[in-house]
Amino acid sequence: MPLLEIDDLYTNIRLKKGEVKAVGGVSISVNAGETVGLVGESGCGKTMTGMSIMRLLPAAGYIASGRVLLDGRDLVKLSEEEMRAVRGNDIGMIFQDPMTSLNPCLTIGSQIAESVALHKKVNKAKAMERAIEVLELVGMPKPKERINDYPHQLSGGLRQRVMIAMALSCEPKLLIADEPTTALDVTIQAQILELLDSLKEKLGMAMLLITHDMGVIAGRADRVVVMYAGKVVEQAPTEKIFASTNHPYTEALLASIPKMDGSVARLYSIPGIPPDLSNPPTGCRFAERCRLASDQCRTSEPQLTSNDQDHSFACFHPVGIEANHVKVAIKVEAEEIARIEHADRKPLMVLDHVSKEFEITKGAILQRKAGTLKAVTDLSLTIYDGETIGIVGESGCGKSTTGSMMVALERPTGGKILFNGEDLFGHKPKELRSVRSNLQLMFQDPYASLDPRMRVGSIIREPLDINKIGTPQEREKKVISLLSEVGLSAKAVERYPHEFSGGQRQRIGLARALALNPKLIVADEPVSALDVSIRSQVLNLMKDLQRTHGLTYVVISHDLSVVRFLADRIGVMYLGKLVEIGTGYDIYENPAHPYTAALLSAVPEPEPEREKTKIRKVIQGELPSAINPPSGCRFRTRCERATDLCAQQEPPMTSFGVLHQAACHFPLISNVEIRSGAATN
Amino acid sequence: MIAFLVKRVGQSVVVLIGVSIIAFILEHLLPGGPAKAILGGRASPFQIAAFNHANGLDKPLWQQYGIYVWHLLHGNLGRSYKLNQTVNSVLANDLPKSILLVGSALVLSLLIAIPIGVFQAVRRNGIFDYAATSVSFLLYSMPSFWLGIILILAFAVNLHLFPAEAPQGQSIGSIISDPRAMFLPVITLTLVSYASFTRYMRSSAIEALAQDWIRTAKAKGLSQRVILFKHMLRNALIPIATLVGLSLPSLITAGIVTESVFNFPGTGFRFINAASTEDYPLLLGIIILIGVLTVVGNLLADITYAVLDPRVRYR
Repeated sequence: MPLLEIDDLYTNIRLKKGEVKAVGGVSISVNAGETVGLVGESGCGKTMTGMSIMRLLPAAGYIASGRVLLDGRDLVKLSEEEMRAVRGNDIGMIFQDPMTSLNPCLTIGSQIAESVALHKKVNKAKAMERAIEVLELVGMPKPKERINDYPHQLSGGLRQRVMIAMALSCEPKLLIADEPTTALDVTIQAQILELLDSLKEKLGMAMLLITHDMGVIAGRADRVVVMYAGKVVEQAPTEKIFASTNHPYTEALLASIPKMDGSVARLYSIPGIPPDLSNPPTGCRFAERCRLASDQCRTSEPQLTSNDQDHSFACFHPVGIEANHVKVAIKVEAEEIARIEHADRKPLMVLDHVSKEFEITKGAILQRKAGTLKAVTDLSLTIYDGETIGIVGESGCGKSTTGSMMVALERPTGGKILFNGEDLFGHKPKELRSVRSNLQLMFQDPYASLDPRMRVGSIIREPLDINKIGTPQEREKKVISLLSEVGLSAKAVERYPHEFSGGQRQRIGLARALALNPKLIVADEPVSALDVSIRSQVLNLMKDLQRTHGLTYVVISHDLSVVRFLADRIGVMYLGKLVEIGTGYDIYENPAHPYTAALLSAVPEPEPEREKTKIRKVIQGELPSAINPPSGCRFRTRCERATDLCAQQEPPMTSFGVLHQAACHFPLISNVEIRSGAATN
Repeated sequence: MIAFLVKRVGQSVVVLIGVSIIAFILEHLLPGGPAKAILGGRASPFQIAAFNHANGLDKPLWQQYGIYVWHLLHGNLGRSYKLNQTVNSVLANDLPKSILLVGSALVLSLLIAIPIGVFQAVRRNGIFDYAATSVSFLLYSMPSFWLGIILILAFAVNLHLFPAEAPQGQSIGSIISDPRAMFLPVITLTLVSYASFTRYMRSSAIEALAQDWIRTAKAKGLSQRVILFKHMLRNALIPIATLVGLSLPSLITAGIVTESVFNFPGTGFRFINAASTEDYPLLLGIIILIGVLTVVGNLLADITYAVLDPRVRYR
């Protein structure tokens, strides 16, 4: 008998008019000690399924029918009081955002001890002891001293450890982890996933891992359940679902993820958006967006069937093995071409030993200088006309500050930025405005970066108005043509941002950035707020626009696969320093800097074979403070290869290839003589 | 924290100096002058000149202000023209009565507003929530003198349950000994401040209940009671504590209208009288007291904020 058996579960959410059928007949089982991955895009019902198990639905939500059996006991039928004894005791739960999931007014110790005291019926002192014990278990350094800390005193990674400690304090049989690492940096994500895996072994519990990230699933789950629009569309053991995908949605989902090996030049994107679940379509819910859909799919609903015992799917026209995984190896070749072409390109922007420091002041009346936060230190980089530069690094590495300086929003405190050969900050304020029109920014959050009270037409027209370009009629025309370029209809002009989906809004943002015909667009996390299928649409669009407009991109992202897909050259930053730069091939296949290699190994890839055999070099510890960065090489505190030399002397940038440079005393590959005749930075 | 306190106290002194200067100037801009008000309309120019000279009113304004501040630094607020007592002794007599009146209304309104606000938040958009919202908006939109008069009409004139007038005793003891007469003024003030407190409490609780950590607390299996009173309330009370701190000057100002309606012998009532008789020293004394309470209230609000919210640490 499985530990958890969800049997034909229906969960609805009441609206003012009608109901959203969030979960529509889901059956999932989880065996003891097993990890089941539940994947799907936002709104597919995966979180609602998890919440239904715990019976923690929002006030308007309710379980309409179905059973949730835990050890044979139906949780749906339990009274609220009986259910409370299950929560936190038999089932533990971890949530996505560790920054907001802990009570800011209570110490972490009391928050962990609270559930121990409740379920294990022990006194406060005993519960506190147990809290220290579990904090030790989840790898919290010095748990005895940390127990009286408040959540805000801990970093994101440590807070997530506290969340895990809290969920595991009563040794539950089942752990539901809802996007446990989505809000964390890749190196911290790797630490947390590793921890969850080892704890699962140690405590012999089962885990339901809810995530949108196919990479996380590939390496950690025994079995995968794919959900779409409130229904399970496919489920199988992890290897099978990746190797012999049967449902077109699963196939499309996998095809729309950029690959780390750069093997895809153009991403598959699923047309359209998921259906409205307050009025779900009859027949297959994916039919509208499916490339194989027939009339049968639109009229009758496919049931979950299995072709072998442990692989089932709900589709009339399953995709075959041969149709799947058509990899195009153009990208690698293209990089070779870029390498050759590079010599002919002329520099568009030169960052010459650029630094940015923020002063931190202290004291009540006299604002004494308490220190400087070194956001970016001595960064040199040449951006060539028409290329795409990717900048990757963890949060706090200075990549966004670098982007702000490139578009003249932040003034460097040291060094110079040359744009078209002229000093960007040497201009008079009036001249700077005209220079600025060549430098545009594409924002991360499509919800916050558009004024909700302005019509889309005015939003896109505003840059033209400010710079007094053309007559009003010409401006109107320009707006319409920009909209059609980003794939939106002219009707959008009259509408407001809230009427559009996230992907559409990001297109509006892109249209606004293009309005002034800029030379350079800095895209700061352009797709990280979007779902996988929407993400690929925007990424493809960015590539197309680059070709038609001759744009130069600087793509800033924590997502290494996105950068790999878009960029010709990639720079890796760590704690304000550029540690390595090179082509996608150089960085991903042949990294020289130990940090680059560690960062890459931390990224979970949607390839189970590779994930399971991967020798993980999880970087230990957290990012040091940028106020007092380590002497010498800044990465040395977390580096395996570090010696005394690294502490004493800062490693200079050395060449490893035509476009490949890294700053390390003990690089992973040997540096080569620069071939004569080839251009360098 | 200590550096922060020193800085804030320094700022407060500057604010108080500003308040006293403005009040001093405004007061002297009042037409007529105190001599006529005190001596009556038929006073001769000679009498007026003698009064002005005796009270130092014939000196240049800046000198008068200098003398006033000098006395103030010695804790001397001057002497009331009209009452023939020192301002210190007038305030010492009246202030406790006002504190009793407004303070008990404040405590009472919080005791009612917090649970009702929380309950409204938990059962929001239900019948009780709508009813309570209507009541608080009704009270909120009503001027306190109007509410006071209606209560007098209902409970004193028609039902004869409570006296229409507040207790008239001069000492605080005599006022406490007549709780029935205190009822209507206290209730009037309670209802007025309840209306705003309950609105703040409701929205603050709704905000807290929507936080992710409430979901975490539920996932631990905690009961609704523990979630509400241990997890939610502590967070939701932070803005309320600030609000209470800021309402400290209302110990006098809230009474200005209500004390007049009920003829309550408190500081607010005294303030009105002092203004109409141009009793400069008394008027100034009360204004400075209001200023002190405002400054102290702000400071207290900041301190409670830091005590309740561990994320706030003043530098």
